[in-house]
Amino acid sequence: MDKLVRTHLPRIAGLAVAGASLLAVSAAQAKEITIWCWDPNFNVAIMKEAGARYTKAHPDVTFNVVDFAKADVEQKLQTGLASGTADALPDIVLIEDYGAQKYLQSFPGAFAPLSGTVDYSGFAPYKVEVMTLDGQVYGMPFDSGVTGLYYRKDYLEQAGFKPEDMQNITWDRFIEIGQEVEAKTGKKMMGLDPNDAGLVRIMTQSAGQWYFDKEGKPNITGNAALKAALETVGKIMSANIYKPANGWSDWVGTFTSGDVATVVTGVWITGTVKAQPDQAGKWGVAPIPALSVEGATHASNLGGSSWYVLESSEEKAEAIDFLNEIYGKDIDFYQTILQDRGAVGTLLAARGGAAYEEADAFFGGEKVWQNFSDWLAKVPSVNYGIFTNEADLAVTAQLPALSQGTPVDEVLQAIDAEIAGQIQ
Amino acid sequence: MAHPRRGGIGRYYDVNGWLFVAPALGLIAIFMVYPILWSLWMSFQSGRGMMMKFAGFANIVRLGNDPIFIKALTNTMTYFVVQVPIMILLALILASLLNNPRLIGRGLFRTAIFLPCVTSLVAYSVLFKGMFAPDGIVNSTLQAIGVIASPIPWLTNPFWAKTLVIIAITWRWTGYNMIFYLAALQNIDKSIYEVARIDGVPAWARFTHITIPLLKPVILFTTVISTIGTLQLFDEVYNLTEGKGGPSNATLTLSLYIYNLTFRYMPSFGYAATVSYVIVVLVALLASLQFFLARERDR
Repeated sequence: MDKLVRTHLPRIAGLAVAGASLLAVSAAQAKEITIWCWDPNFNVAIMKEAGARYTKAHPDVTFNVVDFAKADVEQKLQTGLASGTADALPDIVLIEDYGAQKYLQSFPGAFAPLSGTVDYSGFAPYKVEVMTLDGQVYGMPFDSGVTGLYYRKDYLEQAGFKPEDMQNITWDRFIEIGQEVEAKTGKKMMGLDPNDAGLVRIMTQSAGQWYFDKEGKPNITGNAALKAALETVGKIMSANIYKPANGWSDWVGTFTSGDVATVVTGVWITGTVKAQPDQAGKWGVAPIPALSVEGATHASNLGGSSWYVLESSEEKAEAIDFLNEIYGKDIDFYQTILQDRGAVGTLLAARGGAAYEEADAFFGGEKVWQNFSDWLAKVPSVNYGIFTNEADLAVTAQLPALSQGTPVDEVLQAIDAEIAGQIQ
Repeated sequence: MAHPRRGGIGRYYDVNGWLFVAPALGLIAIFMVYPILWSLWMSFQSGRGMMMKFAGFANIVRLGNDPIFIKALTNTMTYFVVQVPIMILLALILASLLNNPRLIGRGLFRTAIFLPCVTSLVAYSVLFKGMFAPDGIVNSTLQAIGVIASPIPWLTNPFWAKTLVIIAITWRWTGYNMIFYLAALQNIDKSIYEVARIDGVPAWARFTHITIPLLKPVILFTTVISTIGTLQLFDEVYNLTEGKGGPSNATLTLSLYIYNLTFRYMPSFGYAATVSYVIVVLVALLASLQFFLARERDR
């Protein structure tokens, strides 16, 4: 026995070494791409679909899609970048368009430039502009946040309104309808989180303005669109046609539970609206109401985000190739995510696809995608600048004062003062 | 084997002694001294994200012109001035009540009051958020017993949001302070109370003239600890308001502001470091003030 082992020992050892190195080789070939994103009904599900498509053609590349809350993704990313160690960071991360320039400018060299690899001429220009810094383009454009007015046909019908009554209205008319709806059905017109300035952003951009001007300088006190937006939100609050919500999930609950008659937000909410099968056929989509100021339109944008590859990623080449193959070229992929998740992509060629022509049974057979696609083309382009988070908090800080009847000019001045203190 | 005993200054040159403490000293230097010095250096720099450059006292000047910093400072001081005295007094009263040997179920009560401070910060904040929701259990109970006519907007009104934070931290930390007082009360000689009782001193006077003076060192200790805790208040506000310190920045604390400056806004590490040194200075000042007020005076 002893002799047996001794004579075979070199061979056994050799086998073991060979086996181990074989394992090491295959481990080195199998690449796993880690991705951070935040919405299980939307971008997480879409990224899993994209990953599955890529793995089919490249079996050696697998995907690990990690689902955090959006605030956690942003804060983990910022912490990781600030620490200067790449180990804690993913290979691909989803960044909301409002924050893109903030990351690009404050962490130079952290993201891989994709110009030269990706053909950006195929994408909506506003989207590419958001991710451009010093002539280099970073990131892969993803979804649009084109907005719409989702409404419950059944509630509005009870209150005596037809779908035609919801088309191309003003915000004042919207409030009147809201009062009627509450009187007749007992339902509130909309859910509203006083700690979220999303509605103010939607209204302001719909009239072609933003918290900042084209040069990125604060544009608050002389901003007619922002003033009208704040006045309108103040009217909504004092007319009490809203159900207050505390936080995102609470806000989503206002319409999934059937407590409110409308939702005004980005197209990416479609997946969440459709996640309630018992409400099928009860919803319709109209363009958002317009402000009564110069330049007012019925089209706006809320959010929208893009994929970015970390420069430090060990799988950088595969990650870029993956994004380019699926998000940059795969028209069929865009049709699938539109129908399944309501994702309106910003790859222009994808809009010629069949899915955009189709009627959606959930919305009573309306061709909602065609509508969103038309509105997308009308969204006024603005410069989000790099301080949207700060401005947003300054606005929400003033919403309670606004609801208590503080004159809107005083509110604008307070917002201006707060932003001035934050921008350094 | 006995070594001649070296006394005095000779001990400081004992290599073996230094070798024993060297690992601990090294860790302290890396994980405490270095970050403290580095953050002090950072507080003199400004810039966006990693693009920092030396800025002298610019950050300190910025403090004075920053309405949100002033707001956060005011809020933090409001919590401190309102909450700490309420909590200390409540803990004292509870401790003397629960120190009564004739009380049935003392152990149960003590455990019940101490339990909040071992629960998870996040769990209890989330629970409070649900309990104090517009249609939560607190509002519906208060309405049912007729105390209020319409629901209190706990999380959407600036005043009530602040009140809610104070209720939350009082609920969590009163039991913690109470345990210190209970331990100290056990050390007071029972005969003092007996004598007082024989002399006909009423219960309230026994509390104010015997219990409180004898507990003075412990009260000082808990006040300093609570001061530090309140000035660093973060978790409750973060979880109750989804990290925003709203409504209207009414619940924003200095710690939450530091967090926002670092991880939520355009990263401003230098300025965030300056704000954290404000907390350091405040804690130092308040603690020395408390030591000064509680000093033993020569009679």
